[in-house]
Order: sequence, then C-alpha cells, then structure tokens
Amino acid sequence: MAPLALYNSLETYLVIGAMLFGMGIYGMVTRRTLIGMLIAAELILAAASINFMAFNRFTAPDPATGQIFTLFIMAIAAAEAAIGLSITIAVYRHFKSIDAEDTAQLKG
Amino acid sequence: MNTELLFNGFAILAVLGAVGLVLFRHPMNGAMSLVVTMVALAGLYALLSAKLIFALQLIVYAGAIMSLILFIIMFLNLQEKDLPEESGRWYYLLGGVVVIAPIALFLIKIVKTLPGSEATIVGGGFGGIKEVGLVLFQDWLLPFEIVSILLLIALVGAVVLAGKRRLGK
Repeated sequence: MAPLALYNSLETYLVIGAMLFGMGIYGMVTRRTLIGMLIAAELILAAASINFMAFNRFTAPDPATGQIFTLFIMAIAAAEAAIGLSITIAVYRHFKSIDAEDTAQLKG
Repeated sequence: MNTELLFNGFAILAVLGAVGLVLFRHPMNGAMSLVVTMVALAGLYALLSAKLIFALQLIVYAGAIMSLILFIIMFLNLQEKDLPEESGRWYYLLGGVVVIAPIALFLIKIVKTLPGSEATIVGGGFGGIKEVGLVLFQDWLLPFEIVSILLLIALVGAVVLAGKRRLGK
C-alpha cells in the first residue's frame, strides 16, 4: 500500500491544529492589549474546531457530529467576540486605554 | 496533485497567519493575519469535503466575526503611542520556543500512534447541507436552541455593556 498523501491523513490536520493552538496560547499570555488577547482566544477556538473536523472526517464520518460541534464553536466564538469587544469599549471609555495593566483596579 | 498543492498552500497560510498574529505589535495587523488564518482554515475544511462548514466558516468567521473585530479596532483608533510597550518580547519568544519544543516532539510521537487514521472513503453526501442539517435538528436540537438563547443573551449583554451612558450627566 502506498503511503498516504499528506492531505489525506489525520496526523497532518492534528499537527496544524496543535500549532495554531500553541500560538494562540502564546499570544494570549504575552499580549498586553485587551483586543490582542481577544484575537488570540479566537485563534484557540479555531484550532479546536479544526480538530473536530479532522476527527469527524477520518474516524467517524457517518453521523456528522464533529461538524455540529464546529457550528457550535462558531456560535460561541461570536458570542465571545461580542461580549469581549463591548467590555473593551467600556474599559476604553473609562480608562482611555486598552492596556490590560491599566485596569488593575476595577473599583468604580 | 492539485489537491496536494492546495493543501500545502492552505496549511502554510494558516500557520503563517498564526505566526503573524503572535509577532505583529499593532492589533490591526494581528486581526488581518487572523483573517488570513480563517480563510486558509476554510480551504482546509473544503479539502475535508465539508461543504456546509466551508461556506459557514467563510461567511460567519472570516466575514462577520472578523469584520466586527476590525470595526472595533478602527473605532478605538489606536495610535502607536497608545500601545503598551512590550519590552523583552523576543526573550519571551525564545523562552516559549525552548519550553514548547520538547512538548511538541512528544505530541507528534503520540499523534503517530493514534489508531484509525486510515483515510476512509466517505459517501457523496458527507458534509452536505442535508446530512448536517438532519443531524443538527434531530439529535442536537436542544443544544441548538440553547446556543440561540446564548447568542440572544450575548446580544443584550453587549448592548448593556457598551451602550451605557455616563452617569451624572
């Protein structure tokens, strides 16, 4: 049997998902602006959904459950973006800054 | 061979977009590179023969969510002086690579031993609107409705949080 092509094996997709996830975690830890952290969180969610899609395609293709989960992840990412951005706007109005360090005290 | 070319292109674009997100300093550049990643991921979904998710990824993720984020970044009108200075970020990067590399090697080893990774021939209807819709509205109806309530709550919460007028005026 010929070796599987790169695009047709589960491992490749898992490695891509792991790379995106690792960079998302790195961005989340090192970013110091609120919006930068939010964008990194979006990347983490996207990496999780590519894992769902790959497992769905290669190991259990009959009920398309993995694709349903990807849909739910999209909805949750939308909700997270809406709430996070409105919190960013509220913080910017109050502190005139999007630096996460300036919001160390949230009183008032 | 065409598929292989497409896959390599999309995979490299996705990872490059993520690298750009980590390395760019301005949130605008980070958001633009996340758009690149999202479009490349949509291409990967298409190569996995998931037609519906491909379209939804382009419309919802790369279209709606990213334009919302870009709109807010433009609305805040960040200048270079508004950004917090990130001194020593190259040291962080070096430290991150040193910490991550052994874990990554270990992970690749684990992934190689996963069973059931042979490509299976999927039916012609895999990933179409009908198949996904049937599963969604038969087996996952209650979670679907709960997600719609979650989106409604997020909508109301966004209006309450961002639309607040200043008190005492």
